[in-house]
Amino acid sequence: MAQMWITMGPQHPMTHGLWTLRVKIDGETVVDTEPELGYIHRGVEKICESRDFTQIIPYCDRLCYASAMTWAHSYCYAVEDLLEVDVPERAEYIRLIAVELQRVASHLMWLGAYTPDVGNLTVFVWCLRDREMFLDLMQELGGSRMHYNFPRPGGVKRDLPLGFAQRARVKIEMFKERMKEYEMLLDESTIFLVRTQGVGYARAEDMVNAGVTGPNVRAAGVNYDVRWAHPYSVYDEVDWTSSVEKPGSVKGADCYDRYRVRMTEMEESCRMVLDALDKIPGGAESHYQSGDEKILTKVPIRAPEGATGHHHFEDSRGESMFYLQGGGEGRGKYPYRVSIRSPMFITIPFVAETMIGYKIADIPAIMGSFDPCIGETDR
Amino acid sequence: MGMSLSSEQNHAAVDAAVSAINGRFDGSGIEATSVERTSGKHFHFLRITSTPRHWLGLAKFLRFDLGINYCSMITGTHFPDGDDDRGWEVAYHFMRMPVVDQLPGQCLEYKAADLTGHDIPLEVEVFIPLAKGDAPSIDSIQMIWKGADWNEKETWDLVGIDFKGHEDMMRVLNPHDSPIGFHPLQKQHRLRYDGYNEMYDDAQGFGRKPVDSGLVK
Repeated sequence: MAQMWITMGPQHPMTHGLWTLRVKIDGETVVDTEPELGYIHRGVEKICESRDFTQIIPYCDRLCYASAMTWAHSYCYAVEDLLEVDVPERAEYIRLIAVELQRVASHLMWLGAYTPDVGNLTVFVWCLRDREMFLDLMQELGGSRMHYNFPRPGGVKRDLPLGFAQRARVKIEMFKERMKEYEMLLDESTIFLVRTQGVGYARAEDMVNAGVTGPNVRAAGVNYDVRWAHPYSVYDEVDWTSSVEKPGSVKGADCYDRYRVRMTEMEESCRMVLDALDKIPGGAESHYQSGDEKILTKVPIRAPEGATGHHHFEDSRGESMFYLQGGGEGRGKYPYRVSIRSPMFITIPFVAETMIGYKIADIPAIMGSFDPCIGETDR
Repeated sequence: MGMSLSSEQNHAAVDAAVSAINGRFDGSGIEATSVERTSGKHFHFLRITSTPRHWLGLAKFLRFDLGINYCSMITGTHFPDGDDDRGWEVAYHFMRMPVVDQLPGQCLEYKAADLTGHDIPLEVEVFIPLAKGDAPSIDSIQMIWKGADWNEKETWDLVGIDFKGHEDMMRVLNPHDSPIGFHPLQKQHRLRYDGYNEMYDDAQGFGRKPVDSGLVK
């Protein structure tokens, strides 16, 4: 049969953002793919070379609208490595709480965006409803709904507001009940199971070699997680386990496994937040003024030439990373070079290859299950 | 309690890798050191300084002898004011992940305290300075780590470092019809509003920026 190229995107429900997937089809079967990125390349790395270390944080927020908090933290940990700063313990707990709340909100956004792709619009509305609870909590921390500008090199901008712990506990308990509703709606839906089971297989070793990490690898049966393998923050002090899913085939994890691993990860993140609220030094009900040394330590504003800093961070989509070189303009006030590792930039070409051999109707199901986010991909 | 890798495991893994590399590549200009991170848990990581000439051999040693199976990021940097032998630099970041394929219905749940040998996660940073000049180039590692493929594309696209032996090199973030030789992260390219500080030069934001004066608004 004749083969032909068709173009999906940049405006296509499958893409979850602005990018193009060129697909070569033979009848209904995908025989070749070619992703095209760069539609919203803003040059963040170049802009950062003429901003000082605190001014860069809002740009990092805007790398991914669904996961702003994790990106700002990822940057702050790298800056602390560059400027040789140790963060106070209370600030580390607040950061952990903020990041894990963001992880839940990000996975909810993923679930809400993914289920309409595979034929279940109800979950979309429910997920966005519950995501608002977590956005409200983070708004209390950062002051804005999506781009929080919350962490600072050396700590956090503000302490937990009064009553935050109580509201967080109530909302998380409510959310745990609603998780059961999602599972009833999805795991017992024939359409959802037919669309996700048996498509989009990916093996663990292939994924690691291709640079894919995070929930996508844990779905294939290994509990590798940057949070315990390259420990940072206070993840060794709170109660959690790295979520992992048993793959259903020798061909690796399918879309359904990737859905399951994100559901368990949301539960783990909730457990982590509750435990951190109990264990936070100084108590979750006390409130320190902004700039108090318990939540923000003094940091140098200049980094010498030749100094480098990097940090591997478990983002909600995989391993994100910043690499910074000191000694830029203003006698080291600006970084000389900022380099951003985006998990999705590496994952999208891998997924495009994964699709080869499946039907054209499986493309949205496979692509969506890897949780693409184009803001961070194009930077 | 959540688990996490202990610093003894971390030090043992880094020291073993340092002695393996220094033993294998003694006298070739490759130098491996164990560096302490300056924040957080103060764990150690492996830092290697290499020459472009021996890079491919070193990369194969890392992948197949030390089991470093994951290429995280490739960063190119332009040093127009640097020394003659360091006009450019390529920084590689790798990690070792104890990930193996699983049979159906089975999963591998590591306990961090039980990990030994090549199963211990490891961070690797490789610096390779390149000589000053208009055409920096280095061997591609696309065939060793598939994850390096798009990293190298990005580094060429933005910084202009040529990866010898890379198949299918193309623009990924810049438009496909960008001028040949245009790589925006090279230091001779400046931002449009470079040197203009909104906060001090025009606090109220009513003025026009000097570079825009005379242009139709």
